[in-house]
Amino acid sequence: MEISRRDFVKLIGGISGSVALGGCALDEVLEIPERIVRRMRTGPGLETWKNTVCGLCPAGCGMSVRLIDSVPVGIKGNGQYPVNQGGLCPLGLNALHLLYHPDRLKGPVRRVGNPGSGKWEPVSWDEALTTIADRLTELRRSGRSREVAVLGNTERGVMEEHLRRFLTSYGSPNYFRFSPEQNDSVPFALVHGRPDIPSFDLLGAGLVLSFGANFLEDGWSPVYYTKLYSRHREQQTRYIQVESRMSMTASNAERWIPVRPGTYGALALGIAYVLIREDLFNERFVRNDTFGFEDWVDTAGTKHIGFRNIVLGNYYPEKVSEITGVPAATILELGRLVGSTPKTVVIGGSGAGDNTNGTFSQMAVQSLNALLGNYDPGGGVFFHGHAPLDRFPDLTLDGPAKAGIRAEPLGGPGKDAYPLTGFSIDRFAKNVAAEEPYPLSVLFLYGGNPLFQALNHQDLSAALKKVPLVVSFDTIINETSEYANLVLPEHTFLENWGEVSDVPTVGFSHLGIRQPVVEALHDTRNAGDVFIELARRIGGAVGSSAPFTDYLGGLKHAVRGLYRSGEGSVVTRGQKTRWLEYLQQRGWQSGRYSSFDEFWDQLLTHGGWWNPVRRDGKAGGKFPTPSGKYEFYSRKLMDELHARADRGGTTDSRGNLESLLSRLDIAARGDNVALPHHEPVPYEGDRPLYLVTFQVLPNRDGVGAALPMMQEMFGYAVHAHWESWVEIHPETAAAAGISSGDWTWVESSVGSVRVRARVTPGIMPDVVAIPFGMGHTSYGRYARGYGVNPNTILRNLHDRLSGKPATGATKIRISRAV
Amino acid sequence: MVRTLFWMLCIIVPGTLSAQEIRLPQNPLEGRIVFEEKGCIECHQLGGYGGTAGPSLSKDLYFGTVLELATIIWNHTPQMNRKFRQMRVSRPEFTEKEMTDLFGFLYYLRYLGEPGGVARGKKLLESKGCRQCHSLGGSGGGVGVPLDSITVTASPLYIVQSMWNHVPAMKEQISKTNLVYPELSGQDIADITAYIRQATMNTTVVGGAAPGDPHLGREIFASKGCNDCHMTGEGKRKIIAPNLSRIELRESVTETASLMWNHGPMMLQHMEDRSIDWPRFEGNEMADLIAYLYFLDFEDKPGDPKKGEGVFAARGCGSCHGKNGSGKGPDLATITHFDSPIRMIQLMWNHAQSMEDMLITQNKHWPELTGDEMRNLYAYIREATKK
Repeated sequence: MEISRRDFVKLIGGISGSVALGGCALDEVLEIPERIVRRMRTGPGLETWKNTVCGLCPAGCGMSVRLIDSVPVGIKGNGQYPVNQGGLCPLGLNALHLLYHPDRLKGPVRRVGNPGSGKWEPVSWDEALTTIADRLTELRRSGRSREVAVLGNTERGVMEEHLRRFLTSYGSPNYFRFSPEQNDSVPFALVHGRPDIPSFDLLGAGLVLSFGANFLEDGWSPVYYTKLYSRHREQQTRYIQVESRMSMTASNAERWIPVRPGTYGALALGIAYVLIREDLFNERFVRNDTFGFEDWVDTAGTKHIGFRNIVLGNYYPEKVSEITGVPAATILELGRLVGSTPKTVVIGGSGAGDNTNGTFSQMAVQSLNALLGNYDPGGGVFFHGHAPLDRFPDLTLDGPAKAGIRAEPLGGPGKDAYPLTGFSIDRFAKNVAAEEPYPLSVLFLYGGNPLFQALNHQDLSAALKKVPLVVSFDTIINETSEYANLVLPEHTFLENWGEVSDVPTVGFSHLGIRQPVVEALHDTRNAGDVFIELARRIGGAVGSSAPFTDYLGGLKHAVRGLYRSGEGSVVTRGQKTRWLEYLQQRGWQSGRYSSFDEFWDQLLTHGGWWNPVRRDGKAGGKFPTPSGKYEFYSRKLMDELHARADRGGTTDSRGNLESLLSRLDIAARGDNVALPHHEPVPYEGDRPLYLVTFQVLPNRDGVGAALPMMQEMFGYAVHAHWESWVEIHPETAAAAGISSGDWTWVESSVGSVRVRARVTPGIMPDVVAIPFGMGHTSYGRYARGYGVNPNTILRNLHDRLSGKPATGATKIRISRAV
Repeated sequence: MVRTLFWMLCIIVPGTLSAQEIRLPQNPLEGRIVFEEKGCIECHQLGGYGGTAGPSLSKDLYFGTVLELATIIWNHTPQMNRKFRQMRVSRPEFTEKEMTDLFGFLYYLRYLGEPGGVARGKKLLESKGCRQCHSLGGSGGGVGVPLDSITVTASPLYIVQSMWNHVPAMKEQISKTNLVYPELSGQDIADITAYIRQATMNTTVVGGAAPGDPHLGREIFASKGCNDCHMTGEGKRKIIAPNLSRIELRESVTETASLMWNHGPMMLQHMEDRSIDWPRFEGNEMADLIAYLYFLDFEDKPGDPKKGEGVFAARGCGSCHGKNGSGKGPDLATITHFDSPIRMIQLMWNHAQSMEDMLITQNKHWPELTGDEMRNLYAYIREATKK
């Protein structure tokens, strides 16, 4: 049944707070199994609460679910869980709409029509699993195990371990996650020598300078940062936001510095110029703990130019102003402010990173932290340990598995593309579509919605059509699972076991336990259990690779590591950072449990575990780079490029590198390549305006579109509901004859979308912005057919080094629609 | 010296203590929640954390039994009230349970000890002769367990517990050589542990001990047979070893553990003479046991009601709490029986604001008390409210 916004508003009129189960009003909006309704009507009305962890975005906020007679009726934030400290975003607060969504699959289905036809028929779990297991067995028997892939999403920890283990024991190198994490980590790995994204001590900061980090709406954990931000207001922390449009974070900052898309790194280097020129940098840290600041000579006697001279020679304010659009006087002022304000922390976000030059831009942003000495003990950038989970037992691989995992991964770095990434959706789609270097026979899709989220829709859909057997675990069929042959619906997170641990950038090690707050409403399963079952059916070494009877067994196995370590604390009341530090300094652990079962019960009761004690060592131990220091000049980058250039090249190493850089479309040459620098984005010259996209809190990466209340709240800040809009500066709008509310055509070289204009001074004159998350062609009745997906008109460009989608690399024309 | 002390204390003391009036907090650390949530930490530091408007509670000056601590708090009430007014924060009020938790927590802090010093630990390890038997970093003796092997944990309590358990073996080894049994004091163990942690790069406490539970400690005291020889004041028993209620055990856990360690050989001899097995501890047992002993001094010795009546009169309490309701405050005879000093403290704390206001308007001074006066006052009030 389709439902209009008008219908929805009428239906929810007068209803707020928890879900009125069994009431007539919401029967049109929610679909609640009869047995649940009966229980609610006839039960004694007993109220209980259960803690779990949200699964609607990677942040994994702790939530407390209110149950009446064991039926979930309301959700609030878990006040003890340290990531969100009782807060929840609108998505989390409305997660029951997902549980009772009328378009949830009630059991496994098989596609009987073309992709997108919506024609599916029910199939039993046994039949579906037999089909898959038979195909997997046959492929493995014929030595084609590499032709199986799992395209995951943001899963981490135990689920990641399950999926990787399954594929490895089966004999495939093709486990990938279409998640920003591994792409985001590339610039940090280059300068720090370690793959983990650091945390930023925003709580202890005197000034936060953000380069496109819209952390109140976007990024890893908006609720965590919102909580920090509320403390900042109390502490009067200064906030400056550099961004092309005035995001939620910019509008809450003390100052918004508009900057052209693709030039964030240049602005950072302009500020670095002022710090160096005026001796406002931490000379001791730079001298002792960094590499490549000054000019240097390598072991072969070749002279290299250092960061200091590159910056002083190329990034003076007037020149940077030409690149960025930021006045030279502002750059000078910013540099002096950053250099003179104690405890300044610099953070880079998607604005800086989501472009073809994202890696270089983020390196430039991080160079400011190095200049300020923010890596010193107690400084603004730090690395916390990981939750000490027990790893699964070692795998014993048989011959087919050993042979299979040696194959070239279908989505890994290519000869001419994305040399530093573990996965690129661009390369994956192209390889699968071209069946290079081998065809893909079975593809498991776990989480996310790559066809909606990625920039290469056409390549990806062509690739999906090439795969004979696509299996999805989606609970509501979306754009990507329309291409699946079988959909094996997983439980919603409210019915499922799981964990979320060590979310990047959150300033402490943590683990949230996800437990079923209600029994599965429909015939759904945990995806980990499905892979264990498949392993058993395949048998042999694959079957014995599953050491646990079910996913829960593996979860408990991992959590035993926490119990045994004695580190940190279950997130009970009063276990605050300073108290845990107090105990640890004196050699005490905080909790005591008579057995693992007691520890496990406490975890379930309170919702999680954390260890906020920072382990700051001397700076030298922090950087496992070739130099053992923070590297302004990234040796790792140069080593990788040289190795890749020489592979299959001539004996002319310099020529090989030149050739590789040309193929990667990197303009810099010489030492500039390894140093933070401004790498121009290849914008098309025939279109006048930059297009940027952004996420809004009720929708995030598109997931919120399935929930009707989130569609109602989509444009909560601009009074837009169930529709997209394009933000345009008043001068630009006037020149084009556009007023707020007008329909416009936004046209790129890829395509065009029709969208309403919102004229606002909160955007640069030569930039327009469209929110991401609307424009679904599938994903249930509330998502389908509302708004536009701006990714459909973005050029298929990616960061040259990390493979991250470059959502800020497209220019457009805009005109009033008639 | 220790031997002399030991035998002096071994005099049979048939004393008993009255039944405890204070219910020990099941977990003394619960009081930290009160300490934080009532805002105490905003003014008082603990181990470097917290505000500086008030004195640091890590100082010895702010330590004592229930009534000693109550005296300290009572006497600086006017100063504290002024701070509250300056900072524009409300004076917190406490329930009896919150007050019990808070006092238990503040008392417990000393038990938790202080962080060790690496440099001093290194010197101690050499000067105490530990390296003659135990190796570290490839050098040192090979008789004892290599200290590098302590990878599981780096908790001082874990180390001292391991040391205690190997007293018999060590004594035997010492008898074969000319080594001197190393005696420990003060922060020694914490310092040595800090050094071992750094030397082995084991900077994380893994699987270490949790702060002791006095209730469990009482059970361990019985189950290990400690009460066969020692008495604690709880119950009558003929004793052959020091009466622990008469020893100052209000020190950090490592200091008390050091005291136990120091008298280990003597105790071992004593036990061998009587064919008693050496008590060994596992897991958290030693921490619990010492927590129990530590809390033996939590409650004050009984005061003198007669003297307390004098304090009541001399400090002018009677001008408000006069008999037959003659004062502005309630007549003691009408107040519910005080069965715990905590209840008295709670009431005194909660009414301190209004009392100070009244004293200021009447041009009277705040009635300061000594520790003895507080004990006697409680004894008097307890009698006076007895139903």
